[in-house]
Amino acid sequence: MIEIANITKQFPGKTAVNDLSLQVNNGKIFGFLGPNGAGKSTTIKMMTGILPIDKGKITINGSNISTEPLKAKYKIGYVPDRSDVFLRLKGVEYLNFIADVYGVSTDMRKEKIDYLTKNFGIYEALNDHILTYSHGMRQKIVVCGVLLHEPEVWILDEPLTGLDPKSSFTLKEMMREHADKGKIVFFSTHVLEVVEQLCDEVAIINNGQIEFLGEMSEMKRQFKDDENLEKVFLELTQNE
Amino acid sequence: MNKTLKLIRLMLKMQFSMAGKSSSEKVGYLFLLLFSIPFSIMIFYAMDGIIGGLYDVLEPLNNQSFILGLLFISMFAVFTIVSIGSIISSFYFAEDIESFISLPYHPYQIMIGKSAAPFITLYITNIAILGPALLIYGFHSGAGVLYFLYALLIWLITPVLPFVLTAIVIMYLMRFLNLSKNKDRIKIFAGLLMFVFIIGFNIVLRLDTGSNQAGEDLGQLVMESNALLEIITALFPSAYLSSISLTQPDSLAGIFYLFLLFILTAGVFMIFLTAGQKLYFKGVLGLSAGSKNRWNEKKVTKQIKQKNILYMSWLKEMKVMLRTPTFFTQIIVQSLVFPVLFIVIVVFDTGNGGLSAGGLSTLLAGTEQKYIILAMLGFTVFALGINPASISSVSRDGKSWFNHLYLPIQPSTVIYSKIIAAFTINLLTLIVLSVIGIIFIDLPLSIVLVWFALSLTTNWVTSVIGTSLDLYMPNLNWTDEREIFKGRMIGILALIVEVVVFGIILLILWNVSFITGLWGTSASLLVILTGLTLTSHIILKKMIYTRYTAIAS
Repeated sequence: MIEIANITKQFPGKTAVNDLSLQVNNGKIFGFLGPNGAGKSTTIKMMTGILPIDKGKITINGSNISTEPLKAKYKIGYVPDRSDVFLRLKGVEYLNFIADVYGVSTDMRKEKIDYLTKNFGIYEALNDHILTYSHGMRQKIVVCGVLLHEPEVWILDEPLTGLDPKSSFTLKEMMREHADKGKIVFFSTHVLEVVEQLCDEVAIINNGQIEFLGEMSEMKRQFKDDENLEKVFLELTQNE
Repeated sequence: MNKTLKLIRLMLKMQFSMAGKSSSEKVGYLFLLLFSIPFSIMIFYAMDGIIGGLYDVLEPLNNQSFILGLLFISMFAVFTIVSIGSIISSFYFAEDIESFISLPYHPYQIMIGKSAAPFITLYITNIAILGPALLIYGFHSGAGVLYFLYALLIWLITPVLPFVLTAIVIMYLMRFLNLSKNKDRIKIFAGLLMFVFIIGFNIVLRLDTGSNQAGEDLGQLVMESNALLEIITALFPSAYLSSISLTQPDSLAGIFYLFLLFILTAGVFMIFLTAGQKLYFKGVLGLSAGSKNRWNEKKVTKQIKQKNILYMSWLKEMKVMLRTPTFFTQIIVQSLVFPVLFIVIVVFDTGNGGLSAGGLSTLLAGTEQKYIILAMLGFTVFALGINPASISSVSRDGKSWFNHLYLPIQPSTVIYSKIIAAFTINLLTLIVLSVIGIIFIDLPLSIVLVWFALSLTTNWVTSVIGTSLDLYMPNLNWTDEREIFKGRMIGILALIVEVVVFGIILLILWNVSFITGLWGTSASLLVILTGLTLTSHIILKKMIYTRYTAIAS
């Protein structure tokens, strides 16, 4: 379970996230929806330990990311929005490194690398430097790396940007599979359509605050009644 | 034409703009400028000696035009060598090239734009070497106004031909040999070439015993091989035309040869434009696709193995340094420059004084071993202090630093893997230095062994100091790896810290009379250095705690 309790993050001259709270239960795909600059990435960066939290606390399956960072991070698999990482490593070297970080056994990683990379169609690029990969391929190798240790909580920041339809489909399938195993998938997006297709629950964030939190069907109902929400909705649909 | 000029202006602005440069970087440039003043005065006097010496020998025989011939041939060589690197990086490896290709420009126009910055840099060499050389020749020959006017025109036009010819050859190679597919390897190769060039240049400098003497020796050589030089000059028509024109500026032949030189240059420039139009884009396009390794399943599966995380992080650091061309040249090649230059100084200084092998051996034989080991250690501090591996430890990660933050790795593991990587690179320097000590200077094996052991701790401490400083003031926001090394004060700062810390220790030991002999001194050093290592670790631990997560935000 992810528990976010009253977190606040301030940057010089701007409050990026303001007193935000939410909870995600096991077995759910949770969509974190909001226009550009709403505070999605800042929240995710606090959840993953990249940014220190000014106020409030975040726990990942009982481990506090601020006080027990390593314990919490072992439970997380994070796909950042920028996938241009470790460019001078070969695909297989990168996966090996990530597997070592999470302590994945040799047998397990052999099986996983084989399964994941073949599914994403990058198996035969494993011996090439990541530098030579296209944007989509880089995204895929990062996703493969994250799934090597079967994380209890899978966090993805704008994961579908730049993926071709087939890979998009594969990724969505994997997200569903992951949640069906009783694990959490938490992802951010500014595309409403993706949320509609995939999510069990959704939160809409705007100006660093939660505008809506609940199930999909409820969200659609509320759009009609809530003027403020409608504005966000318009912004989101215009962004597409 | 107007459009091309606009493109040139834009590209120059992007290359030389000071916008976005930190003030410390600007101070760095200022220092560079200040340092170059005494350096240029030195070059001027050296050239005056050589040209004067040559002139004295050749003038009575009316052969002085060979001085100019020789000058223009060497300039041709220098300009060509300097151009190779700058043309390749500007034409083919600059990150912005793809954004220009999509603009409605002819290939030759973009090529001219791309030539502007490297061409201007060529003029810095031109101002530094050819300009003063022509002036000096003019003064020695007591030339008139016409000589200086011709010299100015020729000075202006000289870099064009070597630059343009080099560009044509490179464009041809890139197009037909598809060299550009191995982008990284070419850059690494170019870095090594530069290294060899620096070393070669130093060997040449070492070989002469005084510039005036060298000039006269060269003069003798020229007289003996008169015919040979004529043939060589004939191979470089521009050198031939320039030197004839400048020796007889007031004759009709003078102006005729000058005119021919301009025609020749213009002709080759037209070929350059045509080659650009036909070849340039074909070499550039598909550059970003990179090379594909041949797929070998067995080789890949063999690599998939569980290993220790500190070892894997260290391996990752080493691979990044070996595979990134800028890191390779700035870190690995740099770490070799100092010791190899030292070899050159020791081996090629043929006399028996100062830093020659003989001189050093005699000096060492008559010195107490205590002072030898202290001096050697002091020397090591300098050799290791200049090495940029540690001061770029954190900065090398750039914008992907944040990846360390969400992965479940102990901050200390990440930092130690970087320190060990810096230590490994410095080890290379130490090994080369020990080989010099044993083979060239004939140092007793016991001293070299003791020195090596003590240097290992020194190496560790300097690596910790450099990495701590980089952790304290990293440069993560770079777009080009070179920004990590250019105009940052951190390198000097690290050296200052190291010199002060080790300087005090060595100075005290040097002056304390009750510590004597090799073993007494070494034992005291070992105790002190161990203490220093422990202290540096306490500081490092604190730094990791306060800075590790803070630097990304």
